[in-house]
Amino acid sequence: MTEPLFPLWEIDSEEYGAVCAYLGLTPQPRLYDYLSRYLAGAPFHFPRPSDFSRYLAEPRLTRFRIGRLDPMTKLFLPGHPLRHALNGVIALHECDSRGYRELALTPGRQAGVAVLGELFRFGINLAISLPWLGWQWASFAVGVPFRARGDLVGKRALITGVSRGLGRDIMLRCLEDGAEVIGIVRNQASREKLLGELPANARVMLLVADLSTPGALGAALTEAQFAPDSVDIAILSAAIKHDGKSVLSAGELRETFQVNFFAAAELAGWLCGSGDDGHDAALAPNAPEMGVASVAIGSPDNATGGGGLSSTTRVVLVSSMGRWHGMHFSGGYNASKAALSIWGESLDMELRQRGNRRFTVTVVEPGVFPSGMTRQTRLTRLLFASRSKVAARILAGALAGRRAIRPPRWFALLTWGICLIGRDYRYRLLARAKPRADR
Amino acid sequence: MNRTVVVGSGVSGAHAALTLLERGHDVDLWDVGREEKAFPEPGATFHELKDRLADPVAYFLGADLGALVPPTSPELLRYPPARDFLASREDRLWSFTSDGFFPQASLAKGGLANGWGANALSFDDNDLAEWPVSFSEMETAYKTVYERIPVAGPEDDDLAPHLQGVYPSQPPVRLSASDDGLLKTYERRKRTLEKLGVKIGRARLAVVTDPSRADSCDYSGRCLWGCPRASIYNPRLSTLRQCEAHPGFRYLQGRHVLALRSKDNRVDGIRYLDSATREIHEEPCGAVFLAAGALQTGAIFLRTLQASRVDAGPRSEGLMDKTVVRIPFVALRSIGRSPEARSFQFNRLIAAVIGEFAPWPSYLHAELLHLTNLIYHPLIERMPLDSRGSTKLFFAIRPAIGAATLFFPDRITSGNHQVLAGHEGTAEKVGLRYRDSEDKEHFIRQSVARMRSALHRLGCVTRGVVRSEPGAGIHYAGTVPMGSGPMRCDARGRSNLFSNLYIADGAAFPSLPSKPITMSLAAHATRVARLAAL
Repeated sequence: MTEPLFPLWEIDSEEYGAVCAYLGLTPQPRLYDYLSRYLAGAPFHFPRPSDFSRYLAEPRLTRFRIGRLDPMTKLFLPGHPLRHALNGVIALHECDSRGYRELALTPGRQAGVAVLGELFRFGINLAISLPWLGWQWASFAVGVPFRARGDLVGKRALITGVSRGLGRDIMLRCLEDGAEVIGIVRNQASREKLLGELPANARVMLLVADLSTPGALGAALTEAQFAPDSVDIAILSAAIKHDGKSVLSAGELRETFQVNFFAAAELAGWLCGSGDDGHDAALAPNAPEMGVASVAIGSPDNATGGGGLSSTTRVVLVSSMGRWHGMHFSGGYNASKAALSIWGESLDMELRQRGNRRFTVTVVEPGVFPSGMTRQTRLTRLLFASRSKVAARILAGALAGRRAIRPPRWFALLTWGICLIGRDYRYRLLARAKPRADR
Repeated sequence: MNRTVVVGSGVSGAHAALTLLERGHDVDLWDVGREEKAFPEPGATFHELKDRLADPVAYFLGADLGALVPPTSPELLRYPPARDFLASREDRLWSFTSDGFFPQASLAKGGLANGWGANALSFDDNDLAEWPVSFSEMETAYKTVYERIPVAGPEDDDLAPHLQGVYPSQPPVRLSASDDGLLKTYERRKRTLEKLGVKIGRARLAVVTDPSRADSCDYSGRCLWGCPRASIYNPRLSTLRQCEAHPGFRYLQGRHVLALRSKDNRVDGIRYLDSATREIHEEPCGAVFLAAGALQTGAIFLRTLQASRVDAGPRSEGLMDKTVVRIPFVALRSIGRSPEARSFQFNRLIAAVIGEFAPWPSYLHAELLHLTNLIYHPLIERMPLDSRGSTKLFFAIRPAIGAATLFFPDRITSGNHQVLAGHEGTAEKVGLRYRDSEDKEHFIRQSVARMRSALHRLGCVTRGVVRSEPGAGIHYAGTVPMGSGPMRCDARGRSNLFSNLYIADGAAFPSLPSKPITMSLAAHATRVARLAAL
């Protein structure tokens, strides 16, 4: 099963099955392919749904939810993603001979009875669905003060490491939220592959830069003629991890630090060194040669943007909870992330000390979540938030100007707990961790 | 001597060319002339195509699902993506810029008539009140056109007294049970409806229905999707073929005419873009008959003036189009009827709202359509229940669902015109400035109210009023209208500026009556070609 690109809009094949069952249709893989492509393009065709619509669209679709959402969205939330899915399913099935026969089962002379029966069913459904919607609205309203304000419509996001993992999910989330994305990928093959997966009208430009080469990122951005101040949010999420290598493997160590740390520092330099304040340039004396894996959102001169980002560039450095402790099989990775976290904190301090309010620096230290770097088991799926949810949390935190984000929180507390119990116990505990095959 | 040139292969161009050939002149017909794809699976009905085509979704909705109407859209139908005679706005030969006016244009052989609705009526003296031409002057041309184009319709009915110059030669198109029911209700309630000025009758349609003919309608329900039997009149498959039988005829494909060259108030050359090589050429010519459609003819005329008569100004005299208003309804008596297995997709009934609405013509044309074979999802989404309920409700009452479409006439007003809009790509673009006039609104409201009352009296429940966006009328006219002044042509279609230039299409219409325009386009082109001093 292919994972949907934009979970808010797309439905997976199980959900498609539920929609078909609700409408009395037989699911057809050929039609589902069409539907997937159609819904994957939805963020670029249709207006962003209201916050309440988005809240209702987040959970998986079940027969029960479809039954409640269908009348409620028809009456009150016409832009809800489910309306597009239901309309799309009907449109596609009516083009198919079997689907058409199923849709067009005509009651003939009993039409009058059928009409009355349908009106009665609709009335009963309303009686159930209205209180359900009221409950949903109350739950939504209670959570409003805790939700991030502002959105990415009209913003420009620069994201490194978008070909897979967290970087890819952050990119998809940005696209879904209406941002224009400049994505950095390692090589042309990754670029082609990603372009093949994204809808043709996705607002994305992919640049190729191998971050293990010093200066590659800066050169790619300069060649594409992007001005640093045209970026509203920069998210540096590219990272590599050499599992199972000795911490003394100098080549791997250098490469890891180049991609995970220096490239991020280079990009931050490219961004911050372009500020209006002349002294900011001192932050990045070698800016043109630098390159960093990061995410940046927002542009100072972007008049179309909303959400209070108009004059602030958000710099997001994606580190790791692994930065708090050593690890016998991935020492280089953990050390590079420690350097990134500490350096990011220092950058924030320096900017503030200089009175520069144009930038906010957010250090993200995710715990374990399903990614290309972790083993996936049933337990991990149960315990850890999905990458797309982590991506959403990172963006919301960055937009709110938070300095540190550590999803999931319980994992951060656990890590700190392990750090406090003393080296002996820590070593014993961490020694149980197993490396993944080298990437 | 240079040859006579007709520009455009639509209804006007085809009939102008055929008339000139019949007069014994040699004719070159210049045309972009893109060929439309053949229609698949002749003999299969609309719904049978879903079984027979390899990828019916691509056929019915387009490979990119471009015809899938989103739930938030007010549209009830998108034009079939399988038809490709309409030019896209991204086409490099697209000549127009517009704001709030959404024109349709065709670069295909046969032009917009490849997809017309087949309603065939003529303009009478009341319709022609603002023309310098009377019905009697047009009558001979109408008769010729009705001989060339077979029209199906009744011998006589309540509408016949208002439909002067319509000469049916084919039996009327078969009615559906719902159409028949509505007509019978009308017969019973005729007197009540007369008070509203509403009359109903069977449509006059340019369709071959005589079963002895090989091209007679087989009711496959694919009119909008392209009739595989060519039962609906199409100049490409009929009149142009008659032209090709004449030895003096040459069809010059791939020529997109941009402007005319003139000398001493005569046209003596044509500047055109070769659509294959994308190069611009100029060739000498004799008399020219512009029949590229009112928008394109107006554009060519404006570009011609730009080079030769700057004093005449960069604006056309006018730009007209019909305002199209739909009233969806459910005919309660038809609930429970079985849908037709084979059907005709276009309207089989027409109606008229008759009254004094000065300065508008007294006959307002309407088409009554019961739903047959269409892509239904936009209609289902418009039903008042949730998707599941709407689907079941829709198919339970489908044969009873219909729409009355009213076509409002237009007049030349100062704000509506074409204007040269600057160079872009290969040629000067032409801006289309159009707003519905305020004084028309009262007429529209009053007529819609009457039609709704009439439908209620016929046992129909109406639901809302849907007004199409400006430009959707597709009956464009009046860009080089008959009248006096350098920007106009005379009553015989000859330009007041250039003595050998003839405006042979709707560009010459000085007003736009409500009735369907196609037969009058053909008659005007025939008359202009017949009276031209060559």
